[in-house]
Amino acid sequence: MTEELDLTGQDSDAGSEEVVLTPAELIERLEQAWMNEKFAPDLLESKSEIVECVMEQLDHMEENLRRAKKGDLKVSIHRMEMERIRYVLSSYLRCRLMKIEKFFPHILEKEKTPHEGELSSLSPEELVFAKQYMANTETYLRNVALKHMPPNLQTVDLLRSVPKPDLDSYVFLRVKERQENILVEPETDEQR
Amino acid sequence: MDAAEVEFLAEKELVTIIPNFSLDKIYLIGGDLGPFNPGLPVEVPLWLAINLKQRQKCRLIPPEWMDVEKLEKIRDHERKEETFTPMPSPYYMELTKLLLNHASDNIPKADEIRTLIKDVWDTRIAKLRVSADSFVRQQEAHAKLDNLTLMEINTSGAFLTQALNHMYKLRTNLQPSESIQSQDF
Repeated sequence: MTEELDLTGQDSDAGSEEVVLTPAELIERLEQAWMNEKFAPDLLESKSEIVECVMEQLDHMEENLRRAKKGDLKVSIHRMEMERIRYVLSSYLRCRLMKIEKFFPHILEKEKTPHEGELSSLSPEELVFAKQYMANTETYLRNVALKHMPPNLQTVDLLRSVPKPDLDSYVFLRVKERQENILVEPETDEQR
Repeated sequence: MDAAEVEFLAEKELVTIIPNFSLDKIYLIGGDLGPFNPGLPVEVPLWLAINLKQRQKCRLIPPEWMDVEKLEKIRDHERKEETFTPMPSPYYMELTKLLLNHASDNIPKADEIRTLIKDVWDTRIAKLRVSADSFVRQQEAHAKLDNLTLMEINTSGAFLTQALNHMYKLRTNLQPSESIQSQDF
């Protein structure tokens, strides 16, 4: 019953190419994306294809379980596995939302500039969320404080006041294959 | 990442169980399992094994490294070496804890195993602490450590990265340059 999924990968120069994944590999990729997102200090590129495929798999399995006979051991085992996958998926999306809320002006600014072969770091729903969050924050600040300020102080530059993601922060990385000749540059005095 | 999430990842490891029920092959999203026949060993992920054990539907077989003599050798080797030695499983801590908590009746000499694993853990965490201390003191930009497991990284990682971040910020702000402005709106 293992089916193979068509996952449309995105290639910066060649357009889309199809990558066929087994469901197990898909879950593996979701978990990789989850761990990377958790340990990275800023928002990584959006893996909406993986999210969509996982949702599809979960819905598919849910339908099968509904049709199957009740009270079976099989059903409870399937449900347990689905709960686990759902947890990883929600945790992944929650982590991304938290970073969007934390760094929203910078993320939206990056989205405005055209991509030079770089993939978007926001899915369409996340983009809507980020824009609404920004609008709400601005309205809130205006109504609570800014409109009571003297006229020349009534604007706030969110890009400068919200801290940028710290790309110089320390991270752990795990090398998956043996690599030679990787040079990690020591910091120099000119580096801020 | 919290310890519970590391345990969540560890629960995907395969362990051998001996079921007392029969069930034909199940096709999970993550892979196929079974078929289950009473008395015949089968490999399942840890989360399922623990669940079946709690429902009294199986008996757990300890992994082959979970044995007093082997662990004593590992512990002595770890104590001798200055660097980290490879561990029998990348999730040795979580596997031991879960298996000993739920299936200690299936594991011979459970208490000794618990003590041995704790000794190994303490030795490794002590080495990690020394290494982290020298990392911060000498203000290195990077360090390479082999054979660390995720649980160990996670235990000391949050503190280490934050301490290093602070040190970095303090270091890079020693010489104020003209391009840095202080807070202004």
